[in-house]
Amino acid sequence: MNVVLASSSIDGGIGCWDLQTGAEQLRYKTCASPPHGLASIGCRFLACSQLRDPSAASGHVLYWSWSKPQAQVKSFPAEPIKPLAGNSEGSYIVGGGSSGDIYFWEVATGRLLKKWHAHYRAVTCLVFSDDDSLLISGSEDGCVRVWSLFMIFDDVRKQQASHLYEYSFTEHTLRVTDIVMGYGGGNAIIVSASEDRTCKVWSLSRGRLLRNVVFPSIIDAIAIDPGEHVFYAGGRDGKIYIAALNVESTPSNNYGLHIIGSLTDQSKPVTCLAYSAERNLLLSGSEDGMIRVWDVKTKNILRMFRHSKGPVNNILVVRLPYLLSRAEPKVQASSRRNEFSLHPPLEKYANSSDEDMDNRAIITLPDTIDLPSYLSSQLINDHIKQLQQQGSSAAAEMEVKRLKLDGQRSMEMFQQLKKVYDNLQEFCVNELLDGQAIEGSKGK
Amino acid sequence: MVRSKAPSKKQQKKGIDFKKIKRKLGRKLPPPKNATNTEIKSKAIVLPEQSVATNKEGLAVSKKGLTLKELLQQSSHHNAKVRRDALMGIKDLVINHPAELRQHRYAVIEKLRERISDDDKVVREALYQLFKSEIFPGCAEDNQGLFISLLMTYIFNAMTNLAIDIRLMAFKFFDLVVQYYPPCFSLYAEKILQSYEDILRKNQFYLEDKGKLKTTLSGLVRCLSLLPSKKPESEKSISGDRIIHAFEPDTPTANTGFSTIIKKLKELVLVLINCFQDFIPLLNSMPQLDVLSFDCILSMLQSIDIAVRFFIYGIHEETPESICDQTLSSALSKKLLGVFPLYPKHHLSVKEDDRYFILNVVIAAIFLHLRELVCPSANVFEKFLEFIENALLGTICSSTRSGKATWEKHIPLLLPFIPKLASEVQTGWQSRILESFTWTFKDCNPESSLKLACLSMIEEMLIPRGYMHYTKASDTVVLDYQTVWIRELPLLLNLLGDKQPSSSQVVLCLLLRLGQFSGSNPFLFGEYENIQFALSEFYSTCQEGNLYYGPFMRLPRDCQELSICCLYYFSNLNVLLLKSLTFCCLCSELEPFVSFRIIEVLHAAYKAGHIQIVDHISFFMTLLSRFKILPESICPVRESDVKVSNHGTFKSLTAMLCSYLSQMGDSSVVFHIVEKAILGLILLQPPLENACAMLRVLIVLDSKPTLLSEQSIIALSNFLPGYLMDVVHCIPEDDVQTWRYYILPCFFMFDRSSKLLKLVLDVIGSFLTDSNLSLPSDTSTRYATDSLSRINATISLLLLIYKDVKVRKIISSFRTEIGSILQSIASLQSSEVKMTLEERHRFQSSVLEKHFPLVRMVGNQPRGRSSFVGNIEKKYRFS
Repeated sequence: MNVVLASSSIDGGIGCWDLQTGAEQLRYKTCASPPHGLASIGCRFLACSQLRDPSAASGHVLYWSWSKPQAQVKSFPAEPIKPLAGNSEGSYIVGGGSSGDIYFWEVATGRLLKKWHAHYRAVTCLVFSDDDSLLISGSEDGCVRVWSLFMIFDDVRKQQASHLYEYSFTEHTLRVTDIVMGYGGGNAIIVSASEDRTCKVWSLSRGRLLRNVVFPSIIDAIAIDPGEHVFYAGGRDGKIYIAALNVESTPSNNYGLHIIGSLTDQSKPVTCLAYSAERNLLLSGSEDGMIRVWDVKTKNILRMFRHSKGPVNNILVVRLPYLLSRAEPKVQASSRRNEFSLHPPLEKYANSSDEDMDNRAIITLPDTIDLPSYLSSQLINDHIKQLQQQGSSAAAEMEVKRLKLDGQRSMEMFQQLKKVYDNLQEFCVNELLDGQAIEGSKGK
Repeated sequence: MVRSKAPSKKQQKKGIDFKKIKRKLGRKLPPPKNATNTEIKSKAIVLPEQSVATNKEGLAVSKKGLTLKELLQQSSHHNAKVRRDALMGIKDLVINHPAELRQHRYAVIEKLRERISDDDKVVREALYQLFKSEIFPGCAEDNQGLFISLLMTYIFNAMTNLAIDIRLMAFKFFDLVVQYYPPCFSLYAEKILQSYEDILRKNQFYLEDKGKLKTTLSGLVRCLSLLPSKKPESEKSISGDRIIHAFEPDTPTANTGFSTIIKKLKELVLVLINCFQDFIPLLNSMPQLDVLSFDCILSMLQSIDIAVRFFIYGIHEETPESICDQTLSSALSKKLLGVFPLYPKHHLSVKEDDRYFILNVVIAAIFLHLRELVCPSANVFEKFLEFIENALLGTICSSTRSGKATWEKHIPLLLPFIPKLASEVQTGWQSRILESFTWTFKDCNPESSLKLACLSMIEEMLIPRGYMHYTKASDTVVLDYQTVWIRELPLLLNLLGDKQPSSSQVVLCLLLRLGQFSGSNPFLFGEYENIQFALSEFYSTCQEGNLYYGPFMRLPRDCQELSICCLYYFSNLNVLLLKSLTFCCLCSELEPFVSFRIIEVLHAAYKAGHIQIVDHISFFMTLLSRFKILPESICPVRESDVKVSNHGTFKSLTAMLCSYLSQMGDSSVVFHIVEKAILGLILLQPPLENACAMLRVLIVLDSKPTLLSEQSIIALSNFLPGYLMDVVHCIPEDDVQTWRYYILPCFFMFDRSSKLLKLVLDVIGSFLTDSNLSLPSDTSTRYATDSLSRINATISLLLLIYKDVKVRKIISSFRTEIGSILQSIASLQSSEVKMTLEERHRFQSSVLEKHFPLVRMVGNQPRGRSSFVGNIEKKYRFS
């Protein structure tokens, strides 16, 4: 079951809707998130950083399990955390601090594994690459930096190198508002949007700017089409612009170079975008608290969800765990409790004592029972079984064919014998009749 | 030649007439008997092609009527003069028939290359000129690789010729080739360096012919400057139209195989050092450093400089330490750095001083490159530091204009080392170096390239690149100078004005980087905040009531964009700067795009908490109330005015500010802040457009039922009637779009507060009483001042109200007020106070045609016709 999750900067909780049917699900309570602050950690639970008043010295991060509306784990990192991201397995959480530091936690133990000074000003967005080896961060100072986690955890190389980052892109002049990444791991492209009214496309393999697209308004959110033909950019003027990545664009159009069209609904500024690859849907959250679901082919709105009065600033499309969508409350509740007892709150400071490092598991894989089985071995087993079954039926068919053939042959034999007997009978009858006739003539 | 011959011939002729020719008489020796007869007799040779009758029509010929083929044949003639003539002929032919060269270029090259090692100087020179002026420019766009390889074998051959002149000429040829086809150096690098080395070893010649040495050395400098280096990394161009995932062919990198030439280059450097050393005694013996020897020495030093740079920063496998081994470093430090500084023995002219200065700068640069490898003694190091300090302070150079120019041109060579030096030397020297650097920065011409070089150094020293370990902030010496530099930046910006946008752009870029970086450093943070005061002058200043716009208004768009971006990073934007920005936004000369951009960025800064909410709102309010609409009146929007009019701009500005205000947070809180400000402004009777914009802001933030306080409702009820009547008066009735724009805000207000509507109707009614009408100077309206137009306006206004379905519903509960208004109109009609006949006629015709349908409309209300409507109708029927 694919669900849409949305949160807002004023407290409206985290709304949850079924994308297919539009039915509203559980609403998770008390959440006021900054942009990019909502993350689903490995589809196992939700984590969201919280907006706090500026005077607060520490940050606030909450966890929700899927089944309960109340926040279950609260942690208080050393400084206000804005963006939050988890790797695809959900074993690590990364948070960007308002001083420009990036924090790297382990989910299973809650330990702060690494913390490094990444930017001169507050971090605004964080993105993991497909293969989880690269982390891309954008900042208020307009800088986009690419970090290799191998480098971050390699103390020897760290000391030799002049800088920690792989690349530092400084072409943006104002705050970076959003970053998305294409497919292809280290060879992918990334697109970054900024308050300087531009979106820039970078190559990760060559580390340079590929394209600069100037928009008619500030872009706050971007989403990339899975085929990487275009990307969608949600502007403060309420339009969602479509900019070309891989398609040829005609130089003369209404908006500017590389912009090939727009989706409009006369609405308030677009604050966040998400793309659902399953049905090619684009979801946009807006300042007026609505979430619009667009069909990108027809450019029509399919559905609207109302989240709250205030601006929506995070949208996620998450495939919920199989069990949950089946709603088996008893099993679920017990398993949840188990899981959550495993996740302690995030630690404030890095612990220097590394003794217990070896004792604990670094990656805890989620229970396989919880997931829909897409594991390849299981699939292959299923297929083999099916094939075997199919094979036996074929054999039976062959047997039938053989038997039919046998039957045909015996029928032929039978026919032949029948013919012989018929001939014999006719002969005998003729003989008898002839004999009688001779006798008769003799008798006459 | 021809002229000088002519007179001598004449003299001869004279002589012939009178001179007696002496003949030697006498017997001759008979020829020996065994003599062979060497006489050759032959019959006439028939050469059909060369006869005068040869048909050359349609062929390209030179002035002398020769074809290219013939000329090429002649170019290998044994007579030097013929050869030269042939070359001249080819040049002539190529000029007149360029197509000929393109067709036969390979044939031409193949033939002409033989002449590179020609014995005759004149021929070589002619060939050089031919190549330089015609052949290379003519074949520039072709595939040059093949072309060059054809030549190179002969050039190398000539380089090893015994005759020194031919060899020198070959270098000249090679120089020419490199100019037109730079990659050729990398192809033949090793061989070429060997040749240079060989020729420079022959030290007997260069002391004699400095002119030739000079050309050779300048060629060497050109070649060496093609060596690849890591340092420049400014290769960033985005190809606009390319598809991003398109296939990209791998372009072969030109600089492969440079690693192999290091050994050769090392030997060459040693030879150059020897060469330099040979020159030194010469210098001392000479009375004066002449231009030629100066050029030679300079070229040598430059070559050494480039080679050293290649050793240290170049792209090759070897480490700098392994290259600069014992022999090289000792030679360098003894023979080159040992003689530093060079100074004139006999002080003669200022020019000479400058020349010595240039040489010393180059030597100092070489030293600074090598500093870590050579490990100089403290003594030597001190000597250089002293020179650098003096050089930066400009005390060595002469104070004449040319001296200053030389100084500005050559000091940038030393600047790149300043950051490193400043961070490594002891404290005493550190402050001296930084002091002199600061002096240079302040003293040099703001438009010069030296200023730009200084700026890039400042950027390096302020914002550490790479991994962020910032130099300890307690370093007070450095901090002092950093303060000076940062404070200088806005002043420099104002000084530059709009004369040189490229320089302004560099300064603005530095400011932007500083702003981005300042968040992480408390010291820079404070300094950056302080820039605001000086920077406000860059936008605009207000002195004694007069407004002066700064350079910001006249700079190109990209500079404006950069300077707007700088605003975002001030953590607390002060009122002074905000004020000067407001003036810029209000200026009609500024493009609307730029002023929108300013507002946009300031709003982003507000969102990030960099502007106080009170300041931000008052900024918005000032924009709305002070924006000057051109042309002044809204009423007649003629075709010709559309271009000058900025109504559209103001409308989009209003829409923008409305949406920003509604996004600011809890709208009821914002409303209460805005309400007070707007009512204060509205009571000053602003022009209609501005009033409309403010009303729009109010209704965007307001909700139903209204949040307006009692006081403001009363204030509005005094203002709105006049506003409404003015709008109706000024806008022609058929322009529905426009009047809707102006009146709709009022309708919204009426919808939200019926009390307001009642009060407004009361005021309108009171306008129409006799006593008010007679009062000519009533201040509540700006345009509809006379009584006639006021009555007219009232009627049209009521008509408009009744046309709108929604408002009609609301107004239906105010029948008495409407009734009294109608009554007073009707009574006015009958009273005929103070009206001339003409006036009366106009009144009748205009009012009547409108009044009647209005009365109808009012009468058609569901509650039936009331008595006074009937009365009024009667009255009209009779009049």
